[in-house]
Amino acid sequence: MTSHPSATGIRTPGLVRSDAAGECAVRVQGVTRRFGPVLAVDNLSLTVEQGRTVALLGPNGAGKTTTISMLLGLSAPDAGSIEIFGSAPGSATAHASVGAMLQDGGMMPGVLVGELLAMVRSLYATPLALHEAVEIAQLGGLEKRRVDRLSGGQSQRLRLAMALIGDPRLLVLDEPTAAMDVETRRGFWHAMEGFTERGRTILFSTHYLEEADVTADRIVMMARGRVVADGTPSAIKDSVGLRVIRFSIATPGIAGIDALPGAVSATAHGSRVELRCKDSDAALRALLAARPDAYDIEVAGVALEDAFITITDGIAA
Amino acid sequence: MIKYLTLELRRSLRDRRYLLLVAGWPVAAYLLFSTVFGSAADRSEGLAPTVAIMVAMATFGAMGGVLMASGPRLAMDRQLGWLRQLRLTPLAPARILTARLIAAMALSLPAIGLTFIAAVLVKGVTLPLWEWPVLVVLIAAGCLPFAAMGILVGTIADGDGAQGLTMVLYLVLAALGGLWMPVQIVPSALQTVAKTLPSYHLAQLGWHVAQGVAPALGDVLVLLAWFAGAALLAVAASRRLTLRTA
Repeated sequence: MTSHPSATGIRTPGLVRSDAAGECAVRVQGVTRRFGPVLAVDNLSLTVEQGRTVALLGPNGAGKTTTISMLLGLSAPDAGSIEIFGSAPGSATAHASVGAMLQDGGMMPGVLVGELLAMVRSLYATPLALHEAVEIAQLGGLEKRRVDRLSGGQSQRLRLAMALIGDPRLLVLDEPTAAMDVETRRGFWHAMEGFTERGRTILFSTHYLEEADVTADRIVMMARGRVVADGTPSAIKDSVGLRVIRFSIATPGIAGIDALPGAVSATAHGSRVELRCKDSDAALRALLAARPDAYDIEVAGVALEDAFITITDGIAA
Repeated sequence: MIKYLTLELRRSLRDRRYLLLVAGWPVAAYLLFSTVFGSAADRSEGLAPTVAIMVAMATFGAMGGVLMASGPRLAMDRQLGWLRQLRLTPLAPARILTARLIAAMALSLPAIGLTFIAAVLVKGVTLPLWEWPVLVVLIAAGCLPFAAMGILVGTIADGDGAQGLTMVLYLVLAALGGLWMPVQIVPSALQTVAKTLPSYHLAQLGWHVAQGVAPALGDVLVLLAWFAGAALLAVAASRRLTLRTA
């Protein structure tokens, strides 16, 4: 795959989406961040309109956490600019309007859950009521527990409550559900719905496509520090070609195969052909008609990691 | 910031083992030293040994409480990611630092208080009434350089390293600063060293008050110089750290 057809709704990486929906929650322009020889974020541009739920999707090492840490002002970009509601990340105004859940965010040891939340709450101008934050984060009954005596899942819920309690306009979540089981994850996103219903913006990172698909209305896919795809979940799923048909052909030549209905791209290794599809059923039917010489046919799903690599290679080529 | 400071203090009070250590050690040391040396003639501070040692041990305990409450705790909070989390809130870094300094300095009080109480109850020490509150406030406030040193240690060292470094710093400052034995009895080279240390000058302030004499400006200036030096280094170190890791 060498390019994203514009018909799928995918925009070319590097272009900033137009800001028709009013004030931008996040505006990132040409941001680069290096760690020694490693280019963690490579000329990244990204705009998030208010009221959206945006997933930053990518494999480990894609630059998601680095991007988030720059958005929060915990780290400065080597080049480029970032604005959060028009202010610099890390500024007092940005801190007042952004709530965040970090992967490595720790809690003050030796204090009670309720005490900690009350203290953090007091730092904001128009916070949620304590019981509201406790309710959304499902921390009920744990207010008198010491924060250093919480289980992993409970700590994660406390992190969420800390992020929510200031009633931020933008919620930034770095792999919020990484340590959760399926049930807890469902509960988490259910809790988040109440938050987005009030027109709040959420930017979260994940490496689960299914999670991004279900919860986000836009997916920004990152690999090797760059945006490799950006669009609605259905557009993204179509473009990565999440099913693959493998078959052998008696007569060589695969010209035109990637143009079959439902197909995305085709590659041949000798007589063995791999056809990436967004709709493998349609593609298979068309394939059988178009290539009666195909044999040893198998249909399988593609791991997301592989899909990322395909896309990245396509961009790099 | 007040709420954060309150929570820091509450956290300290809840750590009973730590309180026992910082307050128990100087009290035990006081009882030991004042019993062993209590019958000796006046020390050269011109005070009864029970009083001179009381001031020295209160200073020793105060310094320990402050060092422990700033350095190792900062290192731990940094490692746990709590500082990172706190930096995401609207609480300004300068306020975080101020609250931590005050909270650390408050940890000088248990040792001062308990040492004084032990001196009065066990050794029958008496001082003019006004001298007690002045001593408490002076010793506590004089711990400012130690709080800054602790912040510096907590910024440059991690967990166990910060704990170890704090301990070394504590014992060196106490021993060389003449808190365990009068500097007059050590070799003159060590006396010269002692006179550069904040621990020595803080004890001097206390001894002066116990003698009913006004504290010397020189002692105050040395303490302020140590505070400024440690604070500048801590700021520089935290800048470097932020640039490197963040």
